[in-house]
This record gives sequence, C-alpha cells and structure tokens, in this order.
Amino acid sequence: METHDHDHPDVHQKSAAEPAPRYYEIMETAVRELLVEKKLVGPGEISRQIEVLDSRTPALGAKVVARAWVDPEFRARLLANGRTACESEFGISFYDDTKLIVLENTDKIHNLIVCTLCSCYPRPVLGLPPDWYKAKPYRARAVREPRAVLAEFGTDIPEDVEIRVSDSTAMVRYLVLPQRPVGTENFTEEQLAEIVTRDAMIGVVRVNLENRSTP
Amino acid sequence: MNSTENLVKRLPNDIGGLPADRIQQIDHELLPWEKRCHALADVLDFHKIINTEEKRRGVEQLGGEMVGKLTYYERWIVAFAFILFQKAILTPDELAQKMKEVESRYSRSTL
Amino acid sequence: MTSAPPTTTKHPTGIVKALGEEPVFKPGDPVRISIRYPVGHYRVPMYMRGKRGIVELILEPMAVNNEEEGFGRNAGSKGYYYRVGVSLTELWPGYAGSPQDRLVIEVFECWLERI
Repeated sequence: METHDHDHPDVHQKSAAEPAPRYYEIMETAVRELLVEKKLVGPGEISRQIEVLDSRTPALGAKVVARAWVDPEFRARLLANGRTACESEFGISFYDDTKLIVLENTDKIHNLIVCTLCSCYPRPVLGLPPDWYKAKPYRARAVREPRAVLAEFGTDIPEDVEIRVSDSTAMVRYLVLPQRPVGTENFTEEQLAEIVTRDAMIGVVRVNLENRSTP
Repeated sequence: MNSTENLVKRLPNDIGGLPADRIQQIDHELLPWEKRCHALADVLDFHKIINTEEKRRGVEQLGGEMVGKLTYYERWIVAFAFILFQKAILTPDELAQKMKEVESRYSRSTL
Repeated sequence: MTSAPPTTTKHPTGIVKALGEEPVFKPGDPVRISIRYPVGHYRVPMYMRGKRGIVELILEPMAVNNEEEGFGRNAGSKGYYYRVGVSLTELWPGYAGSPQDRLVIEVFECWLERI
C-alpha cells in the first residue's frame, strides 16, 4: 500500500534546481492557498503547525518513560492520567485533543498498540508514526497473531505472559511503558532516556541494552 | 449475500484480521509537501473545517482502488478536495484553475 | 416508538441527572458487540461484530459518537465510550497463542448489548 513512495528514491536529493512538483503536491499547494485566500486558514498557521510536528519525536516519549522508571510517584500519576502527567510535568501539549492512556508492561502483561482502521498514534508524545505502523501487514496481523508479529520484530514473549493488544479507534491514544531492563540500576534519568526506543513505546520490542533498534 | 453487498458493508480501511504479508519495517522521511499536508489536516481539524473523523470517512469513500494504490498523503489531499467540494467551501473549477496556476509557476521558473 | 419511561436515578444530594448522562455500563459488565452494518462510516471493526467481552473502563468525559462526527457533527448528542476487553480466543477461533491473550478496544455505547 505504501510502496509507491519508494518508487521515487530521488526525491530526497536537494538540488539547486527545485524539481517540478507532482500532481498531488500541486493539489496540496492549490488547496492550501485557496483556503488562505478565503481566510479560512491563517497565513502562518501551516508553518506553525509544521514546527509543532517537528518538535515531537520519540525522544520526548523516552524522557517520559525514563522519569516513570526513576520516580514512582510520577509513574503513578502517568498511569492514572497520561495526558495531564505529560502536560503538567513535561509541557507536552495535546494539540490534537486526544487523551493518553499509558499501558504498563510487567512480568505478567506485555502491551502492544495498533490502529486497525487507520493510523491513530500518540503523535503529541512520539511524533508521526513510521510507515510500517500505517501499512496493511502490521494493522491486519497485530490483532490476530500478535505473537507472530512480535517474533518478526525479534521479540519473544513467554506463553505465561499475557499479550494485551490495544486497538485504537476513537479519541484515546496509547503509549506503552516498557519494563526497565536489568543492568541499568546505576543509570541516570538521562542515560535511561537514551535507551528507550520508539518501537518499545509501541510495544513491538523490549528495551534492551544490547539491541537498540532505530529510534 | 450478493457479492456487491460486502463492498458497502466492509470499508476499504477495515483490515484488522485479514490475511497479510510479512511486516517490512519500512519508513521514510516525509517529503516537504507531505508534512505540509499533515499540518493542513491538523489545522483543518482545529477549525472544524474538516474534523479528523471526516478526514477518515473521506479517505474511506475514495473506494478500495484508490485506498489501495494512492500513498498515505495522496489519499488525504484528494479526500480533502472532495470534502471541501461537498461543503461548498471550494468548487471543482476553482481548484482546477488554481492547480493550473500553481503548475504554471513551476514551468515558467524552470525555463 | 415508545418504550417504558426510564427510571429516575436520584443522587443522595437530590440531584437528578439528564437522560444519557449516566453511563449505562460499568467496569466488569459482560457485553456483546452488536451485529449491524452502518453504511458509509463506522469505527467498530468488522472483526468485533457479535463478539463477547468485558467492559474494562468508562472513558470520561462523554464525547460525540465518532460515526456521526465523520459526517460533520462536531457537537451535541454525546455519549460514553468504553474500553472493552475481548479474549483473542473469542475473536479468532483456533487462536494459536496463549488463552489469556486479549484485545482491548474503545467502543461507543450504542454498540454494546448487555448479556
């Protein structure tokens, strides 16, 4: 479904002569300019929202997770209300007016998040989702064979641990609070944040000191 | 159930549990226009010109072929155009004229 | 269509809540997801239809049914969403994983049937 993007590897190259825009880009420019001309959208609104989007990356979520690992009271507040904990203690605004439920992984439960109908994702805390999260294989299979999906990410969950898949359909977004790995007892909060990956906060991998997946 | 009924009953985005391939852990950095398109979606929702749920519904109503073949943000911008027409915020001709104008800027500047 | 008038729930303070203001279900309630086919837009995936689960959480505050939002209704007629947990063995006959594996999903009140 998303393969079309990869037919154009040259688009990342920035040359002095800007390449002529393609059909859909022309449509995007035309729609945007018409809405600004009609004063339905303010002239600076789109660029400001791009700054908002650029300011949200998995590093933000990683800081939240690290804080929860070192501060049990924050952890309790985060689990009680993910949004207000992120807002009041990290200044993370929920610009899309979603709520946040933080799902804690334990020795008995492993959480995994998916949106089978579209691409709901905790964007205020993690930024935009990766392509595989929005593509058919993950969305179709995460709800039906989560253990096989996890295995494809190299994650083996013992049979006696419950897999809990959260399918996001409405105004709630989910963030997985991964388990703190053993061997990090002497890590500072900043060092802990560095080992927390995006994929661990989706729940497809564990936080692992050896195999750090791409953030 | 006759065979066309299911085309109405099951939306093209409703794929949870369907057979699918191995997961390819792909990602790409958004192109500038894709990021603008995402920002536009957010702003349209802020003003409730097109709320997020209308955007989803608009994408679904592109139909199975377009949902399957267009990329993520291609689906969004086409859905926005359709919804803006339905709401009489834009007219098809207005958009066509504007697209022609946008295109001509580039063909002139690259001469 | 007429139905029996709903019983009035009186709070100890004497405050009477408006119709629909109290959630119909509470955590722990067993429910079944309705089998029906909205035309044009829905947010309850096909794989959930007719399945039995347990209400885990009432999502506060009330919100507009997103199936109506999809057609431009931005306010009015709010209701409750619930997090409903369903066993994967209930969802997928022959499920190969552990019998305790579960899926949790947000469902708007009108889709839930008491069992």
